[in-house]
Amino acid sequence: MRIRIAHVTAYHYDRPVKAVIQTLRLTPRAHDGQHILAWRVEVDGAARLSPGEDALGNRLHVLSAEGTLDSLGVRVEGEVEMLDTHGVVRGAVERFPETVFLRETPLTAPDEALCAFADAAASRGTRDRLALLHHLLEAIHREMTFDTEPTHAATTAAEAFALRRGVCQDLTHVFLAACRHLGIPARYVSGYFLRGDGVVVQEAGHAWAEAYVPALGWVGFDAANGISPTDAHVRVAIGLDYLGAAPVRGARTGGGAEALSVSLRIEQAAWQTQA
Amino acid sequence: MLSRTADHLFWTARYLERADFLARILDATTRLTALPASYGRPGNEWESAVASSGCAAGFYALYDGANEYTVRDFLAFSPTNPSSIRNCLSVARNNARAVRTALTIEMWEAINDAWLELRRFDAKAMDREEFARFLEWVKAVSLAFEGSSHRTMLRNDAYWFTRLGTAIERADNTARILDVKYHVLLPATEQVGGSLDYFQWTTILREVSALTAYHWVYRESVKPWLVADLLILNRQMPRSLTSCYETLVRHLDLIAEAYGMRGASQRVASTTLARLTGTRMEDVFQSGLHEFISGFIADNNRLGVTIAEQYLMP
Repeated sequence: MRIRIAHVTAYHYDRPVKAVIQTLRLTPRAHDGQHILAWRVEVDGAARLSPGEDALGNRLHVLSAEGTLDSLGVRVEGEVEMLDTHGVVRGAVERFPETVFLRETPLTAPDEALCAFADAAASRGTRDRLALLHHLLEAIHREMTFDTEPTHAATTAAEAFALRRGVCQDLTHVFLAACRHLGIPARYVSGYFLRGDGVVVQEAGHAWAEAYVPALGWVGFDAANGISPTDAHVRVAIGLDYLGAAPVRGARTGGGAEALSVSLRIEQAAWQTQA
Repeated sequence: MLSRTADHLFWTARYLERADFLARILDATTRLTALPASYGRPGNEWESAVASSGCAAGFYALYDGANEYTVRDFLAFSPTNPSSIRNCLSVARNNARAVRTALTIEMWEAINDAWLELRRFDAKAMDREEFARFLEWVKAVSLAFEGSSHRTMLRNDAYWFTRLGTAIERADNTARILDVKYHVLLPATEQVGGSLDYFQWTTILREVSALTAYHWVYRESVKPWLVADLLILNRQMPRSLTSCYETLVRHLDLIAEAYGMRGASQRVASTTLARLTGTRMEDVFQSGLHEFISGFIADNNRLGVTIAEQYLMP
């Protein structure tokens, strides 16, 4: 399946900004099942963009601008060709052994309730890790409601779980916290999701998790949709949690209040595929 | 476009690239053997020239041992070696003639003139100097062909298949040189940096005409892991494996775009490129240079077969 993505992030500042620096994890890498046909990241204004790579192998750009800026815009446009691999990720860049992804982070630290929930999912009598992960995915998807209202970017897994509500980021954090509590390496994936209901304009990118299954390698689990990633999931960056894989992170000097506007279009491009 | 046409264009480009590569091996080996014997060369450079060319089995069936005369005869002129320079040029010309109308006048003349001129060279009577001139001439033929295709062809599927042939052969050739010489590139425990090693490394660079490029990129003395980096991962180096695969992926994408469908070739090429761009040199050395190169040669052959199945077979 061929997917076209146009993602514009624009900041408007009350007062001119003196300096901005941002790390953009907005460029996907190819792996089996994901081929990048075209991809470009552009900034407007006098900002400088230098490409690089982080420790986990994510492609990143460091955006830096100095002077007096009233606004700043980052535009991402790309087309990718996706194949359904049933969630199994092969041929991706792996810089570390999988056990690195057992590390807990502040955002994914479980509390007692979450631990109990994970243990309950694990006690359903299966010794097969893949089946266990699917139980867990199902349980989280059933237990928690997708709701953009109550949580924000810094909500932890335990907080979101107590509310039983959250966005894809929160559901993914809950999944990661549960996996790591059970001793299964798991990591956060940020990316784009082509919706099945024909809605093209979206409010935000998507997030899901990958857990390590010895016989298969890394396998994706999308807790917000209750499925393993399909050819509608464009995988962009991985991290221990949201902060490690966040599309945009940055700091600035001056500028007063900022207004952020995001425009994101994800649509299927015309393409005949060969059987 | 008929698959037959695509097939002939692909193989014309491949054979000319191979002729160029053989000329480079012979040239570099002649240089290496001109070094004084006191450098204590282990092994025989002519044997490694045969191994790099990938036709060792055919060679030892015909000759007892590898020396300047047998190897030169076999790789440059032998009618029984399907990959000798002479055979490469005439097979390339036969392929080109079959699709004469798909080529531009300049391309056809470059290859037909070469074929006519080939008869002028008398293999038996050739001394070292004349042989060196012959090798220069072979390199000039591929330059003329590739240059004229670049300057005169329409950018359509005919051009793209020509580029695929060149890039896949080039990747194979670079990988073969690395495979034969990988032991001199390994971080060894003894005698690293001796004069012998230095000449071996510069020979590898000369074989792919990358000696000057090396100094531009790294600006330091020749070091084995940097030689490997240049020829495997460096995107700026047109003969590096990564660069060849960028060319393959780009032109396969253009073909898929024009024909409105993607297939196995695009997937195989994209997977290999993703692996090359995601790899760092320390990972290659850690998991074994030889294993990495052998794996690459197998993948590259698989891509050749896949392209043939998808596009070149009627």
